Amino acid sequence: MEATREIYWNVGRGAIPPMYGFFAAAAGAMAYGFYKKLAVYRSGKALDRVSGPADRLARAVYWALAQLKVLRNPFPGLFHAGFFWGFLLLTAGTALIMVQEDFTVRLFGLRFLQGDFYRGYSLVLDLAGLAAILTLLVFFVRRFLYRPKGLETTADDCLAHALLFFILVTGFLIEGARMAVTELHANPELARFSPVGLLVAGLLPGSPAALEGLHKSLWWVHMFAAFGFIAFVPFGKLRHLFLIPVNYFFSDTGPLGGLKTLDLADENAQTFGAEKVNELSWKDIYDSDACVSCKRCQDECPAYATGKTLSPMKVIQDLRRSALAGPGTDIVAAVTDKALWACTTCRACQTTCPAAIEHVPKIVEMRRSMTLMKGEFAGEEGRAAIGSFEVNKNPFGLPNAGRADWAAGLSVRTLAEDPSADVLYFAGCYASFDRRNKAVAARFMEICSKAGVKVGMLGKEEQCCGEPARKLGNEYLYQELAGENIKTFGKYGVKKIVTACPHCRHTLGVHYRDLGFGGEVVHHTVFIKELIDSGRLKLKALPFEFTYHDSCYLSRYSGVTEEPRAVLAAAGGSLAEMERCGDNSFCCGGGGGRALLEEKEGTKISVERVKMARATGRPVVVSNCPFCLTMLEDGIKAADCEAALKARDLAEVVAERLA
Amino acid sequence: MKILVCIKQIPDMASKFKPNAAGSWFSEADLAFRMNEYDEYAVEEAVKLREKDPASELAVLSVGPARVVEALKKALAMGCDRAVHVPDEEAYRKDPWQIASIIAGYAKKGNFDIIFTGMQSQDRGSAQIGPLLAGMLGFSCVTTAIGFSLEGRTATAKRELEGGAKGVVKAALPAVITCQLGLNTPRYPTLPNIMKAKKKEIAVLNAAELSSEAALAGTEKFYAPVKKGTGLVLEGGDAAALAGKLIDVLKEKTTVLRG
Ligand code: SF4
Ligand code: SF4
Repeated sequence: MEATREIYWNVGRGAIPPMYGFFAAAAGAMAYGFYKKLAVYRSGKALDRVSGPADRLARAVYWALAQLKVLRNPFPGLFHAGFFWGFLLLTAGTALIMVQEDFTVRLFGLRFLQGDFYRGYSLVLDLAGLAAILTLLVFFVRRFLYRPKGLETTADDCLAHALLFFILVTGFLIEGARMAVTELHANPELARFSPVGLLVAGLLPGSPAALEGLHKSLWWVHMFAAFGFIAFVPFGKLRHLFLIPVNYFFSDTGPLGGLKTLDLADENAQTFGAEKVNELSWKDIYDSDACVSCKRCQDECPAYATGKTLSPMKVIQDLRRSALAGPGTDIVAAVTDKALWACTTCRACQTTCPAAIEHVPKIVEMRRSMTLMKGEFAGEEGRAAIGSFEVNKNPFGLPNAGRADWAAGLSVRTLAEDPSADVLYFAGCYASFDRRNKAVAARFMEICSKAGVKVGMLGKEEQCCGEPARKLGNEYLYQELAGENIKTFGKYGVKKIVTACPHCRHTLGVHYRDLGFGGEVVHHTVFIKELIDSGRLKLKALPFEFTYHDSCYLSRYSGVTEEPRAVLAAAGGSLAEMERCGDNSFCCGGGGGRALLEEKEGTKISVERVKMARATGRPVVVSNCPFCLTMLEDGIKAADCEAALKARDLAEVVAERLA
Repeated sequence: MKILVCIKQIPDMASKFKPNAAGSWFSEADLAFRMNEYDEYAVEEAVKLREKDPASELAVLSVGPARVVEALKKALAMGCDRAVHVPDEEAYRKDPWQIASIIAGYAKKGNFDIIFTGMQSQDRGSAQIGPLLAGMLGFSCVTTAIGFSLEGRTATAKRELEGGAKGVVKAALPAVITCQLGLNTPRYPTLPNIMKAKKKEIAVLNAAELSSEAALAGTEKFYAPVKKGTGLVLEGGDAAALAGKLIDVLKEKTTVLRG
């Protein structure tokens, strides 16, 4: 017997013209739906997200086909991937039929759906359909029975579920009916290659004529459902099928954690930041439409986890609703200032989002509007901190003339005294003024002198890098501070900088580029690793047990997760990871300028993190960020577990083990 | 309505002060400067008044070295229309009488209806400029205002008196009002206003042409208080109040709470 099947069996070729007619109508509806959206996206400001299209396309195809972003969260990621691959194969299989019947046969008389290829085709499609149905069942159980916390279900979700389920089930029923008539007895050898179809065929009762009747009517129903699905795509959550892969194409190709540097000299600029929909970029609006409300961002958000008003998912949904309401809609009012000030810019949401939505720049953009256009602050303490930055160039309001006092008695000299240093140590505000972090800086100096590195500093010529001010939305103050620092770097011809703080490292190394500083900037963790690797620094491995807290700005913003672990292992440490670690780490609560603000809403983020550290049972939590060290120590005090847990900086651990 | 606000730039009060070479005032090396806090209230109140009447005009004036231009720029960004700088590198050697006469020399020609200034400067703290200025110009004067309103040409000000008592004073314009903490919350200049301020006029006037008054009092010597090893006992009140007092003392007299 031949291994193939008669296409349009039973329905007849007369069905083809109306089928294409309906298809055209469905495709037209889809195109119209997206066309209408285009006007909404276009209400945003211009932004280049298309240059380098070849790389973008390759990335988009890879991320989408490999389900890379979805699989970051194995459950339900694997099921989503299973469904995606299954549904993709079914769609491709259907398309192959069209290719054969309406192109290759008509043009060249070529039929390829036969023989071994057809057997394989049958088997693959059959299993793909099975996978799609099973994963859909898992989704059904999860969404409607298990109901994970925070997952919101709307009519749209129900409709999408029902439609997909209906298409898959009718597909198998059609196959079963056809096989019952044409293969079950006539060609059992071929029927084996459609195991699910075979099963359905065996279960379907009735005479061949009745089955043919069932087949014919189901064929039309299935077709309408499938075309209905196509037409429905832009109007419901299924739009993500199209929008998310395209968003991969549009995603930011610049360095991690990039932010738009505002052109403050622009005489024509009327507004700064975004208060209204049309002050966002088109990409921001597009992003909001690509969100599938999967709540992964919300699950990762430290502010949400500790009972604050902020949920990154809600922020994106608020923006979407605002965008649909019109270009002049007030987005700050929709998101609320309370939610906006609660963000630590930890980037957990953005890192985990399967739709590649960029949350943090939107939040900062709205903060910019509040700060630059209205002179608003996140509370009196925020006003005081900004005032201190302006006058004293540090958030503590301490005279900046004392900025080098931490180094009194150490061998480190200012570049003004001795410009011949190998590397500039940019201590930052905390290591310069905060007692706990001053001690860390001193230990790092010990490490450098042991390794024979000549370190210079700027002393009172150093100013805050501007990061907290910038993340609080004060781009003007940031650029003033940054400008002064860059001038000073230029004066001394600074080429390489090592920082105590991951926030300084990211700001100096990434954001200062936009303002004209191109030197190399590393965090002390990476610097120590380099010294060890090059053999300049030798450590005695003294055993100790610890857990490691990844700071957001080292892990998610700078991609540094391996180096600290390697250094601490070389120091003799045995690490027990917290559940949230690496680029999935849980913020200490100090980022985004939050370290300078009071945390009045909900519980303390730092306490939550300390609980996670405590759960490892280790007596020490090692970090390498001044904000983290401060916040963790606060958290330890607040959680009343000073006897059980100590917070230390990596440099302190290393300095105790110099060989 | 023509409004004038007089401001001073002062060093950040958390600084470590050292006498200058002559021992006559503090050395400005390593100091950070900012607008006198009370003058910020004055600017805010003046801007609020100016905003009520688009036909009015608000000028800001400062006497002092080149650095005071920064404070003038901030006042412009907060909403003053134009600035007047009276450059004087040695303004610190002038006594309040001389400074007030310089300002009066300018204000006389300006036809001002109301003049706002801080109730005192945070560095010298003489609190004399306002009353002296009012006397020289023949204006009414209200000091230490913590509330202000204007009805026609009558100003009503709430004043803070000794021991926390309050009083309400009515004064006919023209008037000098000196401003105290509690009057308002000074606005933070928005970026568009900072940009606009960059284009506003800063007129430079000659101090000698405005006044040639001689000093009535001179500053003899500037020195740190002699350290006395006296103890201090905090008594009375509940534990929280005592702890609050202790923190205040530590903040004021020591550096232990400064990191
Ligand atoms: S923003 Fe991203 S992670 Fe958050 S709900 Fe939307 S799609 Fe999911
Ligand atoms: S950056 Fe962090 S704190 Fe801010 S919304 Fe995202 S997850 Fe929440």
